[in-house]
Amino acid sequence: MSDEHATIRRAIQGDEAAMRALWARHAPRIDMVVRRLAGPDHDTAQDIAQEVWIQIFRALPTYRGDSQFATWAHRIAVNRTLNALRRTRRLAKIEVDMEDDAVAVTPDTDRTFVMASIEQAAAQLSPGARTVFLLHDVEGYTHEEIAAELGITAGGSKSQLFKARAKLRKLLAHLVDAPERREVEHVAPVS
Amino acid sequence: MHPNEGKWNMSHLSPERLAALADEEPTAAELAHLGGCADCAAERDAHRGLVDLASAERASIGLPLTHWESLAPALRAERLIARPAVGLAAISGGRHGRHWLQVAAALLFVAGGTVIGRVTAGAAPLPGLPVATPALMAAASDSQGVAFQSVADARAARDRAQLVYQNASAFLAQNDTAVHGIESPSSMRTRLAALDQVSHAMRQALNDAPYDPVINDYYLTTLGQREATLRQLNTALPAGMRVNSF
Repeated sequence: MSDEHATIRRAIQGDEAAMRALWARHAPRIDMVVRRLAGPDHDTAQDIAQEVWIQIFRALPTYRGDSQFATWAHRIAVNRTLNALRRTRRLAKIEVDMEDDAVAVTPDTDRTFVMASIEQAAAQLSPGARTVFLLHDVEGYTHEEIAAELGITAGGSKSQLFKARAKLRKLLAHLVDAPERREVEHVAPVS
Repeated sequence: MHPNEGKWNMSHLSPERLAALADEEPTAAELAHLGGCADCAAERDAHRGLVDLASAERASIGLPLTHWESLAPALRAERLIARPAVGLAAISGGRHGRHWLQVAAALLFVAGGTVIGRVTAGAAPLPGLPVATPALMAAASDSQGVAFQSVADARAARDRAQLVYQNASAFLAQNDTAVHGIESPSSMRTRLAALDQVSHAMRQALNDAPYDPVINDYYLTTLGQREATLRQLNTALPAGMRVNSF
């Protein structure tokens, strides 16, 4: 039996040390999922993360071990976060609200800032479009899974995603354009 | 940028169709067009780059939003915790435990030696911290007299101290203007890169000993320092640019 399965078995029995070990091992990634989906409101994200972990430990006896614990917990994190956001009505309106005069994100090539740039740009999407983009392109969900989570059609999910990508592509031009194209644009920007 | 952005021209694929082609197969007609249109091909490549950047974000990690000290009471209230933690031995067993404890002890020894060296030389124990004064030394001496009744007490005290340390670091990062005057964004980014390397090494160690509590604590502390540095950096960046996480 692997270390992880032994720890999970002890956690199911209510062993605090084992539960803490599971939390310490997986919280940096699981809480990051919550942070991404919940957006910049730190207090909301913190409350949701606490709720997510309680649900993970509640559901632990149902974990069969047929997938990685991290994958199983990730699903719970996404589902619980979306439910919590729905409660706060942040996903009440699933639509893309495009603004033509979107502000470009300050360029930087450092990886830390690349990720921050994506977050900043995604924050300019409507909550629904942002969620579809995060679930599909970041978390790796299929359109069918997204449709089931959000109560929309798979076609609707695709439509949201492509609009979101088109907007993000403009906002993140400095990250995704080839250098020679950036140079050309700098000299003669296309309106 | 797409040559017909905002001015749809039938001779090019639409921006949304190009976004779809980042991970969808083009039709035969689209494929033929992409073969002859450098602008549309470059746009599709840009969208692929965007999708690659986004999927790389999946692997990112950060300082947990949760704290065990606040999570544990909630789990106890739900009767999910039946047995309290009894110390390191509960989860550090296995063939790797002893090895990693030895590594951790060596790290502590080196770090302790560095701090002692700085203090005896009259410098602050860590860069950015105040030089030890008689009052601080007395306070430290008093705290050394604390006697723990049990392993659980000692563990709880260590956890509280760790939490206080992380919160204090985050507060200082945002509010200690004296330090901001000394540290440049460049030096903070250098520190971020170093902390990235440390957290990478810790993650590799965790692959060998996933539930070793010492390695996990070091890992979380490293993430805490990264977050504190990011917050500090936010106050030094130009207006309009903000780093929320990584």
